[in-house]
Amino acid sequence: MHAGPLLPHPLVERLLSAAMERGAEFAEVYVERNETTAVTLDEHKVKSAQSGLSQGVGVRVISGAKVGYAYSDDLDDEALFRAARTAAFVAKSATHEQAFNVARTPLPTFYRLPEHLSAVAVEAKRDLLVRANKAAHRFDTRIKQVMASYADSTKRILVANTRGHLAEDTQDLCRINVMAVAEGKKGERRTGSFGGGGRVPFTHFDTFTPELVAKEAARQACATLGAQDAVAGEQTVVLAPGWSGILLHEAVGHGLEADFIRKGTSLFAGKLGEKVASDLVTVIDDGTMANARGSLNVDDEGTPTQFKVLIERGILKGYMYDSLNAKLMGKASTGSGRRESFKHTPLPRMTNTYLAPGEDSPDDIIKGVDSGVYCANFGGGQVDITNGNFVFEVSEAYEIKKGKVGKPLKGVTLIGVGPEALKNVSRVGNDPMPDPGMGTCGKDGQGVPVGVGLPTVRIDRMTVGGTRVAGGKR
Amino acid sequence: MTTNYEQLAKKLVARAKKMGAKQAEAFVQVGREASCRVRDGEIEHLSQSTSKGVGLRVFVKNRLGFSWTSDFEPSSLNAFVDRAVQLAEAAAPNPLNGLPDDKDLGRFPDVGALYDAEVASLAPDWKIAAALEMEKAARALDPRIKTIESVEAGESVGEVFLASSAGVSGYSQGTSVYLYTGAVAEADGQLQNSWWYDARRFLKDLESPEAVATEAARRAVRMLGAKKVKSQQVPVVFDPMMAASFVGGIAGAVNGDAVFKKASFLASKLGQAIAPPTVTIVDDGLMPKGLATSPFDGEGVPTRRSALVEKGVLKTFLYDAFTARKAKTRSTGNASRGYRSLPSIGTHNLYLEPGTTAPKDLIKGITNGFYVTSMLGHGANLVTGDYSRGANGLWIENGELTRPVQEVTVAGNLLQMLSRIDGIGSDLTFRGSVGAPTIRFSELTVSGA
Repeated sequence: MHAGPLLPHPLVERLLSAAMERGAEFAEVYVERNETTAVTLDEHKVKSAQSGLSQGVGVRVISGAKVGYAYSDDLDDEALFRAARTAAFVAKSATHEQAFNVARTPLPTFYRLPEHLSAVAVEAKRDLLVRANKAAHRFDTRIKQVMASYADSTKRILVANTRGHLAEDTQDLCRINVMAVAEGKKGERRTGSFGGGGRVPFTHFDTFTPELVAKEAARQACATLGAQDAVAGEQTVVLAPGWSGILLHEAVGHGLEADFIRKGTSLFAGKLGEKVASDLVTVIDDGTMANARGSLNVDDEGTPTQFKVLIERGILKGYMYDSLNAKLMGKASTGSGRRESFKHTPLPRMTNTYLAPGEDSPDDIIKGVDSGVYCANFGGGQVDITNGNFVFEVSEAYEIKKGKVGKPLKGVTLIGVGPEALKNVSRVGNDPMPDPGMGTCGKDGQGVPVGVGLPTVRIDRMTVGGTRVAGGKR
Repeated sequence: MTTNYEQLAKKLVARAKKMGAKQAEAFVQVGREASCRVRDGEIEHLSQSTSKGVGLRVFVKNRLGFSWTSDFEPSSLNAFVDRAVQLAEAAAPNPLNGLPDDKDLGRFPDVGALYDAEVASLAPDWKIAAALEMEKAARALDPRIKTIESVEAGESVGEVFLASSAGVSGYSQGTSVYLYTGAVAEADGQLQNSWWYDARRFLKDLESPEAVATEAARRAVRMLGAKKVKSQQVPVVFDPMMAASFVGGIAGAVNGDAVFKKASFLASKLGQAIAPPTVTIVDDGLMPKGLATSPFDGEGVPTRRSALVEKGVLKTFLYDAFTARKAKTRSTGNASRGYRSLPSIGTHNLYLEPGTTAPKDLIKGITNGFYVTSMLGHGANLVTGDYSRGANGLWIENGELTRPVQEVTVAGNLLQMLSRIDGIGSDLTFRGSVGAPTIRFSELTVSGA
């Protein structure tokens, strides 16, 4: 691991001065060094072991609502000052000479690892996959293929700005993932996928074992063999706890990000204090959860992250702000400014977003459904934040008949409009809800790690996409 | 600081061999990009940057190690090479590993010019003016355009250097320039967002800012008042952009690796008719000025033009060197990569050949159906062929587009969908590197209320 500061503080101060030389209001220097390791297994063999290093500096200059941005992956003085002066171009007044001093901000520690992941031997990472492969095949003879991957990163950041703040953080992140393919009768093939991790030490995999991950992936693949086509149309759905939180992330979370609110492109704009969901719905975005995948000691603008209540008992309480949108809207940043890397400007983003648990037992929720769909596992999702349409793919689904979970269904997609779906939430379970730590959220081409969470939830009247029309022909 | 990247790539390969690699390959990418976004008549975001990186693939005793870096300091590069060689120790030996065989290598085809000096020297003022013009044009189209989500203009210049111990030495450079408009329309409390863009290698081929902006605004306004429809099975038409995304999905299923693992619904269909004779799907690495045109692929194999589906018959799968060896066939020059990743199978310029029917006439024959103009979700399961995506568009009644529709899904099975293509428009359109004309399916399931 590279020791010492990422960039000497006096150099950071001089870069800030150069960025301000055309008289902007604000400048920021973001330095990043990211070491990654990845191992992949396919067809019973560890296919490759990989490592990567990316480092660079991004300089952002703000003048009113105008933003200038430039980055460089050369760290020599000439390249750095060129980036600062390029970003400065956005401001247009006479030459200013101003000195800036930065002082380090003390940070909380929501993740402190005894050993950085970059220091763990690659052989140990490889062995996780070898074990996962064995366990998945051992689970059931119908498992014909297993693909497994492990990836981690140890990312150091330094962010400093002309308000005098300087924050430095080291952010470790890892994840194991297993995909299993089961083959049934007549060559039918079904896939299952499971994984997890977080900002956790490597010893996390002593308890969240590769065997556990592999068995769950294999179970999903086998459970869905023989699945029938889902009936298309409006139905009652029950969402299993955990990763199903992706529904919340898509249906509501994105629409509460301040850039969409400021530009008026979100259907939640101007609705603070209004009822946007059923009384049972309380939505939290929490960047401070210990060791969670979406947690951060500090966001990518140097602002500490928060525990934020977005929706409380159905009432819209707040949005997620980065510093630029906060300033333009007369608010304070909520520590939600995140970026994929030094090549990107920060955007307001989610961290760990979940629905607070309710009072119903999960069993009772299922028992109360006469006819519907139980959604046990999910693929990806997507939202149009303007009209609120969201969609997500259910990778493991079952019919519910007279209060009992029955036969597996295939090809199930849920579609809805965010606030309508939330108003139709009629039961919320009391079961634990965080996901195992496998989500990456994309926005404007930038991917960042996030956590999601949901207890068992019943939603009345949700449109289920399928290929079979009730009462109609096949 | 000027670096000779070709020399650098060769040096890294030589060092890797010296450290014990039987084979090695360095893939260097160097680029710069700039963009401008405006809002309310003012610059909102200006950016300009340079980047570079190298990925080094080594084979040590049939084991694969891979490392990449953006740190080109001479003092760091030796350690970088050594790291790749060490990493190989952690991987399993596989006799199929290795650089492309001699029989797959050879002279690079002449793909014509991919670099436009005009794009490479595009002034910031051009982008600012283009973005301002788009914002104005989008607002001017209709008073119901409430806000402009984003208007952006930008360009990039990229170079690739490839050197390998198999004797490959490749260089290519290219430019691209783009315009983007996202517009939001509002009426009766409903918001609808739509976007349009164009991207080309040459400035003179780019659509005008006004055309891009007007199309984005038109697409947003016509969705106002959109509602769900009842679940039903009807003829469905995909506009060229949605058809291109459908074709892109099919291409995932001709990936030779997925096929070898029987993880593709097309695995057993080679040589069989999978679509009507009107359907021809081509992957073309040589297409003049194509955004995905290149003389060689990610491991130095010359690119080519391959018909994947010809007159309805599945003709070939796509391979890189490793997968080709596994499947006992030849590489098709479809190793795709950036410097941060190992080569994997991908397409170049992919398109569905146009038919002769005017797009309007495809709609004319439908009494009750759905014209799809945008979709949500990832949709297709390539193992099973199951397909289900959120869809927005316009309902077709008696041959006319009548009312906007949202919050429904379109579902089917890809194999069944291919066989149900009963109309192909004459309007082949490329937005990016995948192109298609309007297509019509005789019947798909629309799920709504």
